[in-house]
Amino acid sequence: MAQITRNFTSEGPLHLAAREALESAFDQGWADPRKLSHQSAKARVLKNEAIESIASNLHISAEKLEFIGEARLGHYYSIAGLLRPQDLLLHSVVDKSEILALARSRASMGLPVSLDGQIDISPALAPPSVDRVFAVQIANGETGVIQNYTEIIREFPEARIACDFSSAGIALPLPERWDSAFFDSKSWQGPEGVGILAINSAHKWINPLPHIGPARVPGSVSLPLIMASAIALEAKKKEFDGQAIRLREISKYLRKEISSTIAHCDIAGNLESSLPHINSLSFLYVEGEELLRQLDNAGYALDSGSACSADDLAPSHVLAAMGVLTHGNIRITLHASSTQDEVRDLVQEIRRVVEGIRSR
Amino acid sequence: MKPTREVDCLGMRCPLPIIVIAKEILNSNNGELLRLLSDDPATWPDLQAWSRMTGNTVSRQSETNFIVVRQNQSGQDSR
Repeated sequence: MAQITRNFTSEGPLHLAAREALESAFDQGWADPRKLSHQSAKARVLKNEAIESIASNLHISAEKLEFIGEARLGHYYSIAGLLRPQDLLLHSVVDKSEILALARSRASMGLPVSLDGQIDISPALAPPSVDRVFAVQIANGETGVIQNYTEIIREFPEARIACDFSSAGIALPLPERWDSAFFDSKSWQGPEGVGILAINSAHKWINPLPHIGPARVPGSVSLPLIMASAIALEAKKKEFDGQAIRLREISKYLRKEISSTIAHCDIAGNLESSLPHINSLSFLYVEGEELLRQLDNAGYALDSGSACSADDLAPSHVLAAMGVLTHGNIRITLHASSTQDEVRDLVQEIRRVVEGIRSR
Repeated sequence: MKPTREVDCLGMRCPLPIIVIAKEILNSNNGELLRLLSDDPATWPDLQAWSRMTGNTVSRQSETNFIVVRQNQSGQDSR
């Protein structure tokens, strides 16, 4: 009999509502909306409807939105569009690697974080001698830690603000002041390959890549996927609050059970100031890859920030920056379908595997 | 004070350097200094986390050279 794998990785299946609509979306939305044919006109209407729906659910007007087919490029568009050659880029050391890569190529200041993952803005509080762009992470995708972004932005009234909503999605509201923001459709169980760039201050943002004509982004993004993303967002918006409460309770149970029954477990961040569905746990004296492999054999799929699980054999820059143990790490991401019973069984399995590895 | 022993973990991948130094610390006296040699990039962040979790103190002399001091206090790991 085939074993059922319970999914606790950061990826999840497409939202059911979007999955059901996908075939019809591909059936109707195949034409190029920029052309003159009847089918193109129909595609144009479908595209506008989808964008209006997404705009309404994100509380951003439709003309401010751009769609990017290679979603991770959205970080670059969002930040580099605001950044002039002489500007200083402020960012945190727990930003996504795409943002760290951009920071390395420009004049930049990486702000440290505390043990609970909160950005320490003090190194940047001196009066600036140059114009600044602040890449503000709203929530961390690896630990779930939510930043005090409203307060952070308030401290930098002169800086242009690029918000990274790629992990926070619709869990948190837009700040009072922002210049660009980036969303990833995956954060609301939409399809992979739909990045959403919001440009609030068109006069401050310039397409950072070589381009001809007024287009702000290449526009090579699948219309059926934008439609599916809009449907997923619409559905997620309705169920989000109830799910968040339920998943927070399960995370609370998970963290309490683990810390009370397994010695030397380092939990990244406080649940009270984190997204409700992400739990990053590190077990002292345990090899992350071995832990992941044994849990996979037992039917549980999880992620890890440990060095032995990374392509470059480097430990997670997020955990290292926080001062959280980087080895023996597992990340448990809860999904809409996750239940407390599943998590109870998972905790038992983690306990068994950790004890086994430590007793060798 | 000078280290009384040198623990060579060069070439070992995480979490081995931490496991090895934890065992060596068990065989040392309170306040004794050990030198840990390790070139694994996870060693320094993990030594600091280990220090926070077990109460032993750590310092970095260079990229691959660390000093670890056993501290007998509550929370001491007895692995």
